[in-house]
Amino acid sequence: MSGLLQRQLRDFAVAAGLAVVIASVAFVAARNHDVIDRQLALAERSVAALAADGEVLPTVHGALIGPAISSPKHPELRHRNLRDHGAWRLLAGGDPLHPDDKLFYDAAAHFDREHQPFVELLRDGSGRAMAATAHGSGPAAETAVAITEPASPAGYPLLVMIGVLGLGGALSAAGALVGGRGARVGAFVGAFAGIAVLAIPALLWQSWFAALVIVVVAGVTAMLQRAGLTNKLAHGLVRDRVAVSFLAPAGLSMLALVAAPFLLGIGLGFYDHHQGTWSFVGLHNFIEILSGNGRALDDPLNFWFILGVTVLWTMCNVLLHVTIGVALALLLSRKWLRGKGIFRMLLILPWAIPNYITALMWHGMFDGQYGAVNSILHGLGMDGVSWFTSWTAAFSANVITNTWLGFPFMMVVALGALETIPKELYEAAAVDGATPWQRFRHITLPHLRPALGPAVALGSIWTFNMFNVIFLVSGGKPGDSTNILVTDAYRWAFERGDRYGMAAAYGTIIFLILLLWNVFVARIVRSKGDDDS
Amino acid sequence: MTRQPKLLTRMFAHLALLVLVAVVLYPVMLVCKKAFEPGRDFALSASPIPHELTLDHFRSLFGSNGEHLFVRQALNSIVIAVATTVVGVFISCTAAYALSRFRFPGRKAGLTTFVVVQMFPATLLIMPLYVVLDKLGLLNSMTGLVLVYSTTAIPFCVWTLKGYFDSLPRELEEAARIDGASPWMIFREIILPLAKPGLAVTGLFSFMTAWNEFILASTFMTNESHYTLPVLIQSSVGQFSTQYGVFAAGAIVTSVPVMAVFYVLQKYLVGGLTAGAVKG
Repeated sequence: MSGLLQRQLRDFAVAAGLAVVIASVAFVAARNHDVIDRQLALAERSVAALAADGEVLPTVHGALIGPAISSPKHPELRHRNLRDHGAWRLLAGGDPLHPDDKLFYDAAAHFDREHQPFVELLRDGSGRAMAATAHGSGPAAETAVAITEPASPAGYPLLVMIGVLGLGGALSAAGALVGGRGARVGAFVGAFAGIAVLAIPALLWQSWFAALVIVVVAGVTAMLQRAGLTNKLAHGLVRDRVAVSFLAPAGLSMLALVAAPFLLGIGLGFYDHHQGTWSFVGLHNFIEILSGNGRALDDPLNFWFILGVTVLWTMCNVLLHVTIGVALALLLSRKWLRGKGIFRMLLILPWAIPNYITALMWHGMFDGQYGAVNSILHGLGMDGVSWFTSWTAAFSANVITNTWLGFPFMMVVALGALETIPKELYEAAAVDGATPWQRFRHITLPHLRPALGPAVALGSIWTFNMFNVIFLVSGGKPGDSTNILVTDAYRWAFERGDRYGMAAAYGTIIFLILLLWNVFVARIVRSKGDDDS
Repeated sequence: MTRQPKLLTRMFAHLALLVLVAVVLYPVMLVCKKAFEPGRDFALSASPIPHELTLDHFRSLFGSNGEHLFVRQALNSIVIAVATTVVGVFISCTAAYALSRFRFPGRKAGLTTFVVVQMFPATLLIMPLYVVLDKLGLLNSMTGLVLVYSTTAIPFCVWTLKGYFDSLPRELEEAARIDGASPWMIFREIILPLAKPGLAVTGLFSFMTAWNEFILASTFMTNESHYTLPVLIQSSVGQFSTQYGVFAAGAIVTSVPVMAVFYVLQKYLVGGLTAGAVKG
């Protein structure tokens, strides 16, 4: 009987730990949501009071801002006056600048543009809210703006959690103590109910989803326990406890920061995000992406077009990297070459430079008017190229940059492989009268393969995902046509109206493509390796 | 012995290499020149020789604006990179040791997982990570960035360290075990001191990962005082300002230290990078 109780409490402790984490996440989310709502409401109320010439709470920074007045001498320079704390002053005129002045100025400009009262959360992550509305009417109308203090969120409800945990533990133990014929059912119901009780706090915070997940955890635990799998797992963990304790830190952090966002990403692909609200749309995002959404095949936003660009981009680069890298390695491995060490050191320089700096550097050199590349072309008597207005030119600019930064890796790998080739092979071949091409084809190439295979696999994946070069050199120009899949997914998330769901669906599709490619490459690399050994 | 080729061929080979070296050095020289030449150009122009020398760009980088933004962001970068190194190396050295020495169910699956994860860039997870960090209130915080960076670095570090541990002789551990040492003691007292070179390589790799990363930092950090150096450098030639002088100065200051490190380490990097791709 005590063994049963022990098992029950052990399983409860593990599942309850998981449930507490889920509930806590739900709490933090709900709390943040709550705080945001309160901040927005406070800003809105304060600005309404200001518009009615009332007072605001001392914690709210409220101000009336006058219309923009053109300077008499320079009509394009405009300034505004502002009244806070009862006196008028020049907005943004003080030295040092009042920290909120820029916010006030932008709010007034925003209001002048749209003539709509608005309330929003500041984008600086401080948790402050800002609202604006009109004060008075006509051309001299002022804008009333209120900015709240940073919020102080509610504390963690420790007592609630402890109480619920105690209740769950008691239920769970009670289930295990049911004797006789009901023992099995009792244990099952107890395990389920004990953990499911932890869904109550999630329900209190109105996180239906978290509550549902906790109930599912409860059900799964109870069923696993019934099938004896929790026992098996526990024994395995005890047997390999040393290995498990060594692996735990890496395992847990990968779980939290790779597995969880990854699963979340897959899930979000089924939702649409519009102005802060999520709605479930099923497979709609995927269908929209894969069908091209009625866009022509040469439309830069058509998925198949981007996939084509990505594949072309990867192939061009890997081909250039390998050709240049191997050619250089062959040259550098000649006995008669002078200054080998220095050449090698200088030629790997592009690999040493952080790649975002390389990308920005080449972006500057490709500048149409002042850039170095065009100046050199002029110097050679050729016409300059407007690098970012035609697809071919922009794509070439990207490829040139990436070739420059990518060939040293292949060169170093090939050099390493060449060193392992026994000299006797070449001597024997020379005795047999083999031509240089035959020597390369039958001695050098087979020895390069085992090292170059994995390097090419890795290089193709790096290039496929080479965000920085595309993003910083052409930036997708002209008209988004030189984007590759990863930069396009990024733009859906952060530049095309926060379409997070769309970006997540893109991420899932990219993941599947890379997975297929991985399996394919791994097979090729391995079968080649087997041939040679 | 193969015969030496003709003199002409040899000269041609040297010449070709010299041309390539010039192509490699030219952009770098342009950046160096820009950093020391006065003026606010819109691009990197052709001549690699400056007309005039000045330290103005470095001065404006180091905070003539009175806020010492660069110093602040350099500190952010250092703190984040050091924290990433410590967390990343600690997490991966224990995992690598377990994968190298112990046999347990799921070991192969674990190794494969690390390879697969290494293939997927953090850029792909950027959106869900953004949502997770936003919900947890870790946007705009160094903690969030350090956690993300160290997890990104783990797969590479685990593979490199596992390779290193595999190469260490097992006799010492067996002797220690017979003398009654616990696994943790063996790991701490015998393995870690022996693995110092391997730890140095992985540590410096984690450092470089964090030091050179720009897109996650610029997405997760919205407040200027929280930026890291790559974000600052990128914004100096961004859409709204083109100050190639400041960019060049910043590029030199931030990349020279990591380049020095890279030259010391590059031998080891190749082994670590390709090991994961074959053995999976």
